[in-house]
Amino acid sequence: MSAATAALSLEAQERRFAFALLGPAVVVLLLTTTAPLVYLLWSSLNRIELAMPWLSGFAGLDNYAKMGSDPRFWNSLLLTAVYTGATVVLQVVIGLALALLVLQIPRGQAVLRIAAILPIVLAPVVVGLFWRTLVLSPDVGLVDLVTRTLGLGSHNWLGDPQLALISVIAIHTWQWTPFAFLVLLATLATLPPDVFEAARLDRANALQRFRHITLPLIRPAVVMVVILRVMTALSAFAAIFAATGGGPGSATEILNLYAYRTSFTELNLGYGSALAVVLLSITLAVSYAMFRLRRARG
Amino acid sequence: MSGERPLRKLALAMVAGAGLAVWAFPVLWALLTSFKTERDVLAYPPTFVFSPTLDNYREVLFGASSILPNLASSVIVSTLATLLTMLLAVPAGYALGRLRYPAKRASGFYVLATQMLPPVGLVIPYYLALQKVGMLDTYTGLIAMYLTFSLPFAIWLMVSYFEDVPLEMEEAALLDRAGRLRALWHVILPQVRGGIAVTTIFVFLNAWNEFMFAVVLGGNRVRPVTVAMFNFISVEQTQWARLAAGAILAMAPVILLGIFMQRHIVKGLTVGAVKGGGRR
Repeated sequence: MSAATAALSLEAQERRFAFALLGPAVVVLLLTTTAPLVYLLWSSLNRIELAMPWLSGFAGLDNYAKMGSDPRFWNSLLLTAVYTGATVVLQVVIGLALALLVLQIPRGQAVLRIAAILPIVLAPVVVGLFWRTLVLSPDVGLVDLVTRTLGLGSHNWLGDPQLALISVIAIHTWQWTPFAFLVLLATLATLPPDVFEAARLDRANALQRFRHITLPLIRPAVVMVVILRVMTALSAFAAIFAATGGGPGSATEILNLYAYRTSFTELNLGYGSALAVVLLSITLAVSYAMFRLRRARG
Repeated sequence: MSGERPLRKLALAMVAGAGLAVWAFPVLWALLTSFKTERDVLAYPPTFVFSPTLDNYREVLFGASSILPNLASSVIVSTLATLLTMLLAVPAGYALGRLRYPAKRASGFYVLATQMLPPVGLVIPYYLALQKVGMLDTYTGLIAMYLTFSLPFAIWLMVSYFEDVPLEMEEAALLDRAGRLRALWHVILPQVRGGIAVTTIFVFLNAWNEFMFAVVLGGNRVRPVTVAMFNFISVEQTQWARLAAGAILAMAPVILLGIFMQRHIVKGLTVGAVKGGGRR
């Protein structure tokens, strides 16, 4: 009995200790993230226009109803889908291809890894500025230098609506493909070599080996990369903001940028809040779907 | 086997080398540009041969639009946010990783879920609230905002390090009646010193690179260097050499930290995802 009491008190002691250690962090998270979330939900139900403060007040679901007939909103949804889809597919395909190639190079991997780290650690706003000036500006930019040399002529990469969308997709892909590359390279390096040797003896060709051995083995890593890349793409901001500001017009205005511009350029924080709530819902829905997918397969 | 097909090896190396040059080149090009005169920057075709100048660095450091105050601003915000984050995250990570208590799974999930909030959805309520209490353009406001992304990240990264400590060490310390706090301090923490260092650097790096919160909540007093870089392009349209010099100075710390941390980058970038999806 005394042993049982001792065990019980030890358990109680552990519980108290855990709460004491975890408590401060949870309280801070409640104050810094959950309280603002509640405030956001509330402000999305209000009309808040800083330029016309006398119009402010409770508006019910007006902000949400307004979206239905707002072409800029639908445009931003479409752009979000295109931007996210394109950047994630490009990152995974290029990253995986490079990782498979680099794995076969016996020496020099260290140098390549350092080069891959450069884009990742740069501030996205600086990346956007580099591309806007040194890489993509007409005439003196690096890309124009290449296209002119190849006889494809000079282009206004960030000024033309379609080229601007392609450009911001390229910028994001440039910055984050190293992430997919590094994660997949690390995963590939842990695969047992004898499996491949056996398959080679069975005369399986390179494509068969990739499809039936490599891909199933690295699927969990690929799914994880896809999930993380989708999350980053959905909340991409600084690089686009610095490169195009969402323009020309609203050609590169993904939902995240639309919510920002509505709130802080047009100072319509009520409608901006509602747009942010929609973005939050999309983020939650997409991540829920992907985690389900991962658990089902994994 | 190896050296069997040297041509194929060479081709492989060239393809990989080209792909990776694409990543390094814009950064190296910016470095080169930072030593050019504005005249040389706008030369067509772009030139590799020029007489280098330090004028751009002199100008961005000591000129009229010096970025020194912005660098100081970044140092203050990033350092304080990192310290505060680590003080809260290390104990919380230990509780989540090692101790048994009710609602453990729920609390872990809560910490993870706070990361789902899109930054724009957080910055709007912060702006409204801080404006109401007159705290826009203050360090306190911006640092509180930085906790929203650094704290969940740091907690989960620390959990992964605490989980690597062998259980026996903890049990041995507890059998010695050392007391839980003393066991944590004297036995467990020394085991995760490396993890604490890595987490600290990551948190600092993320805070240093942040832009959206800084541009919305900052102002004349609190203006981190990322915002200063952005203002550069809108104010001084074609002074790219200066922009490059400023960017090189602003990014030097994170580039050096990144290279120093290269072994840990993958772990830092994937933390949380491993937890959220797998295990349970």
